[in-house]
Amino acid sequence: MPEEANTRKPMDPAKLWKQWYDTSSRVWSNVMDGEKETYVDPYGMYQSWLKSVGEAQEQMKGSSLGMMDPKVVWQQWFEAMIEGWRNAAQMGADPLGLTTHWLEMMEEARAKMQAEGNFPADPFTFFKQWYDATNDAWAKAIGEVIGTEKFMEGVGRFLESYTSFHRTFRHASEEYFRNLQLPTRSDLARVAELVVALEEKVDRIEDVFEDFEDGQAHLATSETVAGLEEQLERVEGKVVEGLAKRLDQVESKLDKVLAALKKIEAKDQAESPRPTNTGSRKAVKKNANQQSDSITERS
Amino acid sequence: MVKEIAIPSVSDLESALKKYRTGMQIILEGAKAETGQTPKEVIWTKNKAKLYRYEPAIEKRYPVPILLVYALINRPYVLDLMPGNSLVEYLVRQGFDVYMLDWGIPGDEDKNLSFEHYVLDYIPRAVKKMLRASHAEEYTLVGYCMGGTMSAMYAALFPGKPLRNLMLVTTPIDFAPDEMGLYGVWTNEKYFNPDLIVEAFGNVPGELIDTGNRMVKPVTNYVGSYVTMWDRIVHDKSMDTWLAMSKWVNDGVPFPGEAFRQWIRDFYQQNKLVKGEIKLRGRRVDLANITCPVLNIAGKKDHICTLPQAEATMSLISSQDKEFFVLDAGHVGLLTGSEARKDLWPKIRSWLELRSK
Repeated sequence: MPEEANTRKPMDPAKLWKQWYDTSSRVWSNVMDGEKETYVDPYGMYQSWLKSVGEAQEQMKGSSLGMMDPKVVWQQWFEAMIEGWRNAAQMGADPLGLTTHWLEMMEEARAKMQAEGNFPADPFTFFKQWYDATNDAWAKAIGEVIGTEKFMEGVGRFLESYTSFHRTFRHASEEYFRNLQLPTRSDLARVAELVVALEEKVDRIEDVFEDFEDGQAHLATSETVAGLEEQLERVEGKVVEGLAKRLDQVESKLDKVLAALKKIEAKDQAESPRPTNTGSRKAVKKNANQQSDSITERS
Repeated sequence: MVKEIAIPSVSDLESALKKYRTGMQIILEGAKAETGQTPKEVIWTKNKAKLYRYEPAIEKRYPVPILLVYALINRPYVLDLMPGNSLVEYLVRQGFDVYMLDWGIPGDEDKNLSFEHYVLDYIPRAVKKMLRASHAEEYTLVGYCMGGTMSAMYAALFPGKPLRNLMLVTTPIDFAPDEMGLYGVWTNEKYFNPDLIVEAFGNVPGELIDTGNRMVKPVTNYVGSYVTMWDRIVHDKSMDTWLAMSKWVNDGVPFPGEAFRQWIRDFYQQNKLVKGEIKLRGRRVDLANITCPVLNIAGKKDHICTLPQAEATMSLISSQDKEFFVLDAGHVGLLTGSEARKDLWPKIRSWLELRSK
């Protein structure tokens, strides 16, 4: 472990988390808010909705047996929701156009369901009808937003911030546990890597054994080795014998060549006994040597 | 005017409460279902990977075994979802000898695993083990999604015997941004740097991958799925398939860091595979080397592997016997459910039948 790491004071992971949470919330707030400094209060919509729920509860209390016409309830719910989204859209902080889209869809769904006159009594059927009436438009609207470069810019910034936080958090946690003399995930991963490498070696050995079993490779027995030695001796014998024979042939040819040369030399001496003509003798000797070389090459 | 209505009976209220409890339990605790039930045995393991051999349901009718190679993300049991809704079970019942390579769940120690390891070490060894167990000389390789991309690379690097047939199911090959829909924008190198994620996490968490996949169709995946759930609960419809699918969708596995980096950079951002620029340990992957019979299956509604991404394979391979089979389905719906039973599975059987004798 580097010395620097030992002396570094571990950071409090909880503090890091809080810091990152604040930063990333701001990043997303900026994206949704179109980089403006104004702050959108999404809870305004919820408050509006909660208010309508409270009113409905009051009505239920006032009605006999605490029950009321579900159509009235759904209409009130629609009104409350639409009002909430309308307020949000009017706040002018809807750069991605989601709120406006949502509002349009809510109004469309209300009109559709009112025209059909079939406000169901149970909440699920109502929700299902509402989902069926809006999901295509909603999917299209979201698809248009998340497929934009603007959205990806936000995602890119978020990713940068999140990964940076995660790296720091991980490093801080590792240091913290190291200082406590406890093994960390990295330590365990290192041990696991050794085990995996060992397994790989065993796997290779198993592979080789299987090749033997499958007949793709054969084990050498002492008999096969002895057989090979015998074969080698035979081969060696043949080769040496053959080479010796060839050498004998070459030697006999050389003898013949030498004899022929001697004859030529003797004939030359007999035909031209003048000692002064050394140049001519040299030429004859050179000629004889060339002939000898040529014969040796051929043999 | 406030109008009175009939008061529900006690049993109605009890039933409604029970249904509410069932739904909330699924939402809070996650879907529980028995999946991957076709009997099988593990015949080989390497690190976290396992090679399964499915027990034959009838006498083997075809000498050419099938090796299923799944993607590095999600779990492969979607191919063997549940009895009656399982491609594996169907093939086994047709008399095929079926094997599946399950990559397992990578740990921190696997963050350096790359496509080199998967294509050059794992798949070849799994093939060898399968041929040995099956006493076969040839086999059919079936790759699903990213498993298909890996299978295509393997087939390009090891063409000829023993590879007899190649089947690619919803397999992205061309990663040109215009062909990838939302992924084209999301993986744009201007905004998306895979190094940041790999350096921070090591392996990329399954949840992160899952979020990316769900965001392709956020309303359907985040809301529609639960609307369907409540609909089935409220109207007392069977929940088995929904639970099994929901379990699978939420059962993502981490993506080994190095492989993720390659997947984003080399495939999504630089589209190297179609350009013939992918090199695995110095060996160039040229899809033109693929000459065996190929069945390429894709879904019209697939947002994860779009139709053009899969179709590109047809012009890149050299096979004479090749077919592009398109279904009116999405990435996962293509494999499971009544449409798959009616269209896809019989198609796979008939195609293999002719080429597995």
